[in-house]
Amino acid sequence: MVDVEIKRDRIVIRWREKKWDWMIEPRYWRNTMYWTLALILFPVFAYFLSPGLVNTMVSANIYAAIAIPLSLMTVGTGRINFGPNFYIGVGGYVAALLSIHLGMSPWLTLPLAVLMSAFCALVFSPLVIMAKGLYYVLLTLLLPLLFLEVTFIWTGIFKGDVGLFGIELLFDLGGAKLNFIAAAYVSAAIMLLFLLIANKVLKSRYGLIMAAINDDEEVAHGIGVNINLVKILTFIGASAMIGVMGWFMAHYFGTFSGITYLPLTYMLKILLVFMVGGRAQIFGCVAGGYFVAFLEEFLIRVMGDFQPVAFPIILLILLFVLPRGEGLFGLYRRRHYREYMPQIHVRR
Amino acid sequence: MLDTIWFVLFFGFLMGAVYLLIALGFSLITGVLRIFHLGYAYLFPLTIYGTWFFMSELGLPLIPSIVGMVVVQLIVSYLLYTFMVKRYMDDEMTLLTGLLIVALIVEQFAAWRYPIQEGVYLETTLMDGIFQLGLAVAPKQLVLASIIALVMTALFALFFIKTKTGLAVRALSQDILNSQFVGLNVEKLYILTMMLILIPVIVAMLLIAPIWTVEPAMGWQYMTTAILIAVLGGLGNIKGTIIAAFLIGIDHALMCFVVGEPRFMNLSALALVMVILIVRPQGIARSESIW
Repeated sequence: MVDVEIKRDRIVIRWREKKWDWMIEPRYWRNTMYWTLALILFPVFAYFLSPGLVNTMVSANIYAAIAIPLSLMTVGTGRINFGPNFYIGVGGYVAALLSIHLGMSPWLTLPLAVLMSAFCALVFSPLVIMAKGLYYVLLTLLLPLLFLEVTFIWTGIFKGDVGLFGIELLFDLGGAKLNFIAAAYVSAAIMLLFLLIANKVLKSRYGLIMAAINDDEEVAHGIGVNINLVKILTFIGASAMIGVMGWFMAHYFGTFSGITYLPLTYMLKILLVFMVGGRAQIFGCVAGGYFVAFLEEFLIRVMGDFQPVAFPIILLILLFVLPRGEGLFGLYRRRHYREYMPQIHVRR
Repeated sequence: MLDTIWFVLFFGFLMGAVYLLIALGFSLITGVLRIFHLGYAYLFPLTIYGTWFFMSELGLPLIPSIVGMVVVQLIVSYLLYTFMVKRYMDDEMTLLTGLLIVALIVEQFAAWRYPIQEGVYLETTLMDGIFQLGLAVAPKQLVLASIIALVMTALFALFFIKTKTGLAVRALSQDILNSQFVGLNVEKLYILTMMLILIPVIVAMLLIAPIWTVEPAMGWQYMTTAILIAVLGGLGNIKGTIIAAFLIGIDHALMCFVVGEPRFMNLSALALVMVILIVRPQGIARSESIW
C-alpha cells in the first residue's frame, strides 16, 4: 500500500521499501515560484510592450535549455564538452528530414530526434573514457565541424549552405504573435523541465556519485564507483536533452541549417551562457541564457551593425570581471548559500 | 596510374608544406605553454586585414604596412599573454573561452570594417606565373611558399637544437618546475614563444594571400587544420607536426585526384585524425618534448 504522510515541511510517500519526500515548506519554494511566475507573466507583458521581446525570451530559454544539460554532462563526466551543438544538429536534422520527407508531425519526430541523439552519444561515448583534458576538448570541438562538413558534402540531403525549409511548425494558432507566445511558453516549459530533472539528478545519490567523479575520478573508482557507466549514462542522457532543443528549433523556426548551429561561433555562445551564468551551475545557466539573449537584443537595438563586434567584447570583459568560475549565479550564492553544488574541474 | 601518383605526391607536398607553416605555431605553443591556443584563429585575419588597414587607412606602401602589422601582432600577443594566458593558465576553461572570444572579436571587427565586397587584396606575389613539372601545374607562388615553408621549419628546428634559447624552450616543454629550478626565466620564454608563433603564420598568410581566398572568417578553417595537424603529430611535437602536415596534405591530394571529390578533403582529414587517435592516442610522435 502507498502510505502518504504529511509533515510540517514535507510530504513523505512510502511504497514497500521505497520512500520519496517532497519539500513543501514555503521558504524552499518561494524563489522558484517567484521566478516561474515571472516567466509566465513575461510573454503577456512583452506581447503588449514589444512583441520582439517574446522572441528574445524564446532564444534565452533555448540557450538555457542547452546549457543545463551541458552543465550536467560536465559534472558527470568531469570533462568540458566543447561541441554540444553537435547534438543540436543531430536532433534538428532528424526532426527536419522526417518532417519534410515523411510528413511526420512534431510530436512524432520528437522521440526519434531524442533516440538518434542518444544513439550518436552512445557511439561517441567512448570519448569520455579514452580522452581527457585537451584531447577531449579538441575531439568534441571537432565533432560539430565534422558534421558541418557532412552537411556541405551531402548538400542534396542536408542543404548545408541554405538550410532545410518546409518543416511543419510546432504551432499554428493563426497569427505570428500568438505563435511566438505559444513558443515562449513551450520553450520555458522545456527549460524548466530540464532544470527540474538536472536539479533532481544532482541532489540524488547519483548526483553525489557524479560529483565524486568530477572531484577525482581515481578516488571515485577506488571507493567502488563504476565511473565508466556513470560517465557514459550522463553523456548519453545530457546529449539526448540537447537533441530535444535541436528538435524544438527545427519545428519552431520551420527551417534548419547546419551553418547556423554547427560552427564554432554558435558553440561559443552556448559556452558563454555556461560561463557567464556560473559554470556547471544549473540555475546559473538560466541567468546566463537570459543575460546573453537580452544583451544581444539590446545591442542590436542600440548599436545596429556594430553589435557583432560589441557583443563579444562585453562578454569577454564579463568573463574576466565576474568572480572566477562563479559567474552571475555565484554572485547570488555568495549571499544565499544553501547546499553543496558540484564545481567542475578541468584536467590536463 | 603513374600520373595520378605523381599528382598526389606533388600536390600533397605543396599543400603539406603550407599546412606545416599554418600549424607550426599552434604545435609550438601547445608543446611549450601546454595550452590549446584557441585564439590562434585571430592571427590569420589580423595578418591580412592589419596590413590592409595600414595600406588603405594610412596610405602606406606594402612593406611599411607589413612592418606596422607585425608590430601590432607583437603588441597583441604580449597583451594576450600578460592579461589572459598568464593570469588564467590554471583556469583552463576561462582561458580557452577567452581566447576563442578574442578570435571572434578580430573576425567580427574585420567583417564589420572590411566586408567581403571591399575586395581586400594584398599584392604580395613574389613569383608570377605557372610552374610545370611533368603533367602537374601549380602557381609559382605556391611552389615558392612550399620551399619557404621547408626552409623556415628547418630554421625553427635548428633554433631549437643548436641555440641555448632553443634548449631552454625544449627544457621548459619537458618540465616547467625543473626548468625553474635550474634558473630558467619561464616568463620570458613563454613570451618568446608567443612571439615566435607569429612568424610562420605571418609568412604563410602573406605568401598565400594572392592565391587563396581571403575573408574575415578564414581563421577558423586554418585553425581547424592546425589543430588536426597538432593532434595527429602528438600535441606539441615538431617532428610529429612535420609528418602530420604532409600526411594531411597527401590525404587532401588523394581526395582531389584519386577520389575526385575535393569536398571530402576536410572530412577525410578529420576521419584520419580520429582513426590515428584510436590506434595511437598520443599521436604520431611522443609529446613530452617539442623536438
